[in-house]
Amino acid sequence: MKNLRLFRKPASHVDSHAQPSPELAGSPAPTRRSLLEKAGIGALLASVTGIGYACVRSLVPNVLYEQSRRFKAGPPDAFPQGATFIEEQRVFIVREQNTFHAISAVCTHLGCTVKMVNLNQPKTVAIGGKPTQVDREFHCPCHGSKYYGDGTNYAGPAPRSLAWCKLEIAPDDGSLVVDLAQDVRKDFRLTV
Amino acid sequence: MRVKHTLWDKLTWTWAPATDREAGDSVVRNLLLHWFPAKVTKASLSWGYSFWLGTISALLFGLLTLTGMILMFLYIPSVERAYASVKDIEFVVSFGWYLRAVHRLCAHLMVGVVFLHMVRVFLTGAYRNGVAVQQNRPLNWIIGVGLLLCTLLLSFTGYLLPWDQLAYWAITVGTNIASAAPLVGEQMRFFLLGGSTIDQNTLIRFYVLHCFFLPVVVLLLFAWHMWRIRKDHGLASADRVAREQKRSAVPVKTKTYSLLGVTRGRTVHVEASLVDEIAETVPSSPNLTMRLLVVTLATLIVVSLLAIVVPTPLEEPANPRVTPNPAKAPWYFLWLQELVTDTTVHIGGFTINGAFVGGILVPGLIVAALVIWPYLDRSPVSAVGVWFAAARRRQNMVFLLCVAAVIVLTIIGTFLRGPYWNFYWPWESWPETPKPF
Repeated sequence: MKNLRLFRKPASHVDSHAQPSPELAGSPAPTRRSLLEKAGIGALLASVTGIGYACVRSLVPNVLYEQSRRFKAGPPDAFPQGATFIEEQRVFIVREQNTFHAISAVCTHLGCTVKMVNLNQPKTVAIGGKPTQVDREFHCPCHGSKYYGDGTNYAGPAPRSLAWCKLEIAPDDGSLVVDLAQDVRKDFRLTV
Repeated sequence: MRVKHTLWDKLTWTWAPATDREAGDSVVRNLLLHWFPAKVTKASLSWGYSFWLGTISALLFGLLTLTGMILMFLYIPSVERAYASVKDIEFVVSFGWYLRAVHRLCAHLMVGVVFLHMVRVFLTGAYRNGVAVQQNRPLNWIIGVGLLLCTLLLSFTGYLLPWDQLAYWAITVGTNIASAAPLVGEQMRFFLLGGSTIDQNTLIRFYVLHCFFLPVVVLLLFAWHMWRIRKDHGLASADRVAREQKRSAVPVKTKTYSLLGVTRGRTVHVEASLVDEIAETVPSSPNLTMRLLVVTLATLIVVSLLAIVVPTPLEEPANPRVTPNPAKAPWYFLWLQELVTDTTVHIGGFTINGAFVGGILVPGLIVAALVIWPYLDRSPVSAVGVWFAAARRRQNMVFLLCVAAVIVLTIIGTFLRGPYWNFYWPWESWPETPKPF
């Protein structure tokens, strides 16, 4: 700040006998001028920061006009046995007799939509150490991640299994309600 | 000085000066020429030294600005109408297809040319200071790295705008890479998208970034880049000439303006006088300007012709429900797509997502290495401004291996990846992909 002297007092106004020159003293004594300088710089920085913050904060939306992550998928009877893909919400509803579960179709690697591949022959694979029969798989078109029918990742760059989402029955009309925002464990089953 | 009678004379004399004095005067009097020095070394004008890649990049940026401004009048940044407006540009607007083709081609070429420019600067050791005083070429190299990143970001934000399948899925993958960043990833994605899904907020953000924010950053960096070249006394090949001349010890015409006893060290002019001005330099106008016009003409011809023969694809409208199979990024990002595919690491029960390793860590390390490299380089001054200098052989090899790795990954991504990102040789046919269900 030493160099920032915008207006220097004329030399004649300085009474050199009354007080030692600031340049000679070790640290310059605070004067009204230096205080005003600091206050000015502080005010400048504060106003720039304030405007900057307002600019950036305004770009973080307070209200999102997006589809709800919780939605009605239709009456349970409407779902055939096996997996049904609900395109708009990118989720698979799997029906096994009277039980239902939902698997997200969003690849855990980078968010592309996985495609279901029905196997010609069911095969037995070890999932979590347990031999399990699978008759479908999910493959990701973007980077080649592969998942078994229960969403367990087994090949490609996917770091973890596909998410399982919470299913409920709507109290008003009895349709299936999928909550994409709520993950559940893989033993989750909704029995209808 | 020539007496300038007609308006034509007044407008053109700076481009074709009759005397050396007029040549010197022309760079002072002509706004367009004022950023050039009065004289340049012949070595700097060599076609084979720089390939004029920086100039071509700037010209491509100029063409992109011109065509981009026109496209801004025709394009509508709304998710409902963006695709239709691009289709209109392609099929309804007079010469719309051509402007779009030129814009897209220039963008592709600019990525390639800026990259090659960087390769050239590295291989000639031109990011290092030479013999003149007050050089700071490492800084200019860093500005150049910034310009390369801006070029890539401009391309990335640009190909979202047609709101087709390529756009939608590129942005899905791109912003998910951002969300793989530790701690702030999710917030960063939210901020980029303007929400949690790709929608109108995202489109308008990328539109403003593409049309205003990033071009302004490029212009500022470009101005700084050019200013630094002047401060660094031209291209590194000028240092080479000065050095060779010093060694040959031929008496050169001296021009000592040093303010001895007033300034510290020697002034710029003393060092500059090392170059035998009569033998090694020529006036910028018309020697530099004519070459500049030739490069401009060549660039225009190549771009114009390519725009006619190279198709400008527009994929299906963006469909959040169906990911294309395979979903490929543009060629210049395919090495990254390949990298995020191959870098998921499993250590015991612990998994690190390839999105982080290949999408953030490796590119981040590459940029960091590029930025600090000039400060680690210990090659001698004799290697500055020399193609494939023996003293730089080892680091040039390392650099070229990295370049080759990027190229190989790009080739694999472009030609050898099929449905589900499986590997296929070019002579292998792709299997029929499963029908949509």
